[in-house]
Amino acid sequence: MIRHHPDDAMLAALAAATLPRGQEVVTAAHVERCARCGARLRELEAVGGALLEDAEPALLAPEALARTLARIDASRATSPTACRPGVTARDPSEGLQASLPDGMTWPRSLHGAATTRWRWLGPGMRWSRVTLADDRAANVFLLRIAAGKSLPVHSHRGIELTQVLYGAFHDGRERFAAGDFDETDDTVRHQPVVEAGGECICLASVEGRVAFDGRIARVLGALVGM
Amino acid sequence: MPTSEELSELVRAVATGGDRQAFAVLFKHFAPRVATYLARGGTPAATAEELAQETLVAVWRKAASFDAARAGVSTWVFTIARNLRIDRHRRDGDADHPEALDDEGDDAADPAPAPDERLATLERERRIRAALRRLPPEQSLILQLSYFAEQPHASIARDLSIPLGTVKSRIRLAMQHLRRLIDAPES
Repeated sequence: MIRHHPDDAMLAALAAATLPRGQEVVTAAHVERCARCGARLRELEAVGGALLEDAEPALLAPEALARTLARIDASRATSPTACRPGVTARDPSEGLQASLPDGMTWPRSLHGAATTRWRWLGPGMRWSRVTLADDRAANVFLLRIAAGKSLPVHSHRGIELTQVLYGAFHDGRERFAAGDFDETDDTVRHQPVVEAGGECICLASVEGRVAFDGRIARVLGALVGM
Repeated sequence: MPTSEELSELVRAVATGGDRQAFAVLFKHFAPRVATYLARGGTPAATAEELAQETLVAVWRKAASFDAARAGVSTWVFTIARNLRIDRHRRDGDADHPEALDDEGDDAADPAPAPDERLATLERERRIRAALRRLPPEQSLILQLSYFAEQPHASIARDLSIPLGTVKSRIRLAMQHLRRLIDAPES
């Protein structure tokens, strides 16, 4: 059962498509497997619809309708499926090189992205950089931490979003299991510890730098580029 | 102004009969509002008008996939315009990769709602409109900027004269208030 969800402000920003790209893929990865948030997102899209309805109409060129009808006629003259070639034909997991445990599938929000293979980060800790085709600067990555292992204590200078894809961890505040979403900012200093029962895979997005405590942890942080 | 039910009927007329008169009514209603939405988001006026036209072309093309059980016409048009806006924005930012939000991907994966959900959807959208009208003006402005502004946080800080650091908590308060108004029984 999913216990931790994005708040309405985050879901509204997803509905309005104003989230930074990295935050968008992590939040969308949550919504696609959470019926509650799916329903809320539809509601918040309806808020967008109501705001559109209330918007002051702009003055359009008098021939705008005629032009639009001409575009419709022109697009019907050509093939109706010619609009977005290749998008649906491509294998959605193409470019996602990090291997996954049996039975686990990639979030749909990562389709079109690229990941590196798992890289060593420390004992029992691996990571994979996620590169989003339409925002290469977005700091998105996967963490794969073995049972019982913990990440170094760290805090954030910006917003860190985490979606648990597999397994579970406890960060001293709460337990986060597959499907759970977490948002932390500079007020939180935490140390996620993976449960003894099995490994944990998370998708995370970081805005701003992550500040790790201790020298080795800082080295690790630099390695990840956080 | 056409009602939600009338807008649904117009979309159906476009879907089933390619009704140009019905389309013209939809165009007159939505194209100027979509242009406003896009212009407020920082799209230059000429591009906003072009994208508004593109939105209505998509309304024509996708009319058959409109599902009144899932969303009202305004919500459907909003999501089309939103996707075109973000699509254009990202294409301009990185020519490498044209597609952005999948137009129908989210919907396609959901099971189709039962026919009587159409009434529930109408009722939900009516409650949302009523709730928006009951929000205090400042929170209403926060919501408008959250949905329409190109940089919502900066715009809210500027328009409300509050520090950037407190914008997020103000958005949260506005969203919580809206949630209470949507969920509360109307008196």
